[in-house]
Amino acid sequence: MICSDAFVATADAMAALRGAPGYRYLTTPHPVAILTPDQVRERAAGLAGAVAELLTA
Amino acid sequence: MTALDPDVAQAAIEHCYDQGWSDGLPLVPASRPLVDRFLATTDRRPEEVIGRLAQVGREVTVELAAINAAMAGCRPEYFPVVLAAWDALVRERATGGGGWQSTSGPAPLIIVNGPVRDELGFNKAGGVFGPGFRANATVPRALGLIVRNALGIHPHVFEQATQGLPGRWSICVAENEEESPWEPLSVEAGVPAGTSAVSATLLRTSEFVDNRHTSDAEQLLADFADTISRTGAWIFRHASAGVVFCPEHAQLLAGAGFDRATVRAWLAERCGRTVGDLADVGKDGMGDNGVRHASGSRPDGFDVLLADGEPGHLLIAVAGARNAGISMVVRLFSDWSATAVPVETKEP
Repeated sequence: MICSDAFVATADAMAALRGAPGYRYLTTPHPVAILTPDQVRERAAGLAGAVAELLTA
Repeated sequence: MTALDPDVAQAAIEHCYDQGWSDGLPLVPASRPLVDRFLATTDRRPEEVIGRLAQVGREVTVELAAINAAMAGCRPEYFPVVLAAWDALVRERATGGGGWQSTSGPAPLIIVNGPVRDELGFNKAGGVFGPGFRANATVPRALGLIVRNALGIHPHVFEQATQGLPGRWSICVAENEEESPWEPLSVEAGVPAGTSAVSATLLRTSEFVDNRHTSDAEQLLADFADTISRTGAWIFRHASAGVVFCPEHAQLLAGAGFDRATVRAWLAERCGRTVGDLADVGKDGMGDNGVRHASGSRPDGFDVLLADGEPGHLLIAVAGARNAGISMVVRLFSDWSATAVPVETKEP
């Protein structure tokens, strides 16, 4: 899961509520909604390694 | 009755704060006997589930609603109105999804019709959006406490409002049926005349239209169309709105032959902006998901704001004093169910 860094408190609370405190996820700087397609690709490229690491950890 | 003891009351109020139950203002400590007086006003069982929010796994029961209504400062006899208002909100598509947790922090708009308005002292006239009346103030507060304490939606955690809005948990108006030229909102929504009922939806905000300048109905409606058509409130292909007309404006329109349906039709045709206006603010593009975006590639034209002239996209009510031409445009979070919920009191 990738979460905008503005929603960390909510994500952590939801993880704890659902019985997974400390659930690991990735973050990306807020805001996301106004990014251009190229900027989204840039974000994705920057996170790809971390996604692979998280999924295979 | 025992002597009043402010120190004991203060300790109980502080206890409520310590539990995290408060919306910021003092709560009425909800004793078992007090809650039982609330439950005695309805035939509904205390354990009946009247709402649930799947993503947080929480439910609202009649008893939890009663506890929060008591803490909000309601009188027990308000409780059937609280239940009707809650049921009306449950009918809103957004409240079963992410509405209570939205970054927009929407506020319920509660509109009360029928004899219960005067029986319980709801304000329908001067200052109807403002403070000063226990029923108007505590019924919406009860809804907020239900969301907070029964559903567990707390600010900065599951409630993610960016700024929120003034009036969240305090917008409750009675319709001024006596000075409205039109049938009550609840009747338009399908409840028989003379039956007390509650309508509700979620608002992004409310903003006034002050027009004491014309006696021409179309000029007056054009002033509303301008406010409704503000680009800042427009996110998707269409947007929904409402108008709580003051009696003076409503009577002027009715005098020119307008009823609710023709007011809606007039506004549905004219509310909107040119593609050029929308391009200037980056909202001219229309994606497949219905969200506007900056495009700059559309030919000029006119985008209508309202999806149609149906009540669910343009709620119209009448409230306030007849002392000036000042009405309120309300910004709907989504759309309105266009229904009203009858207020059910206990069978004798």
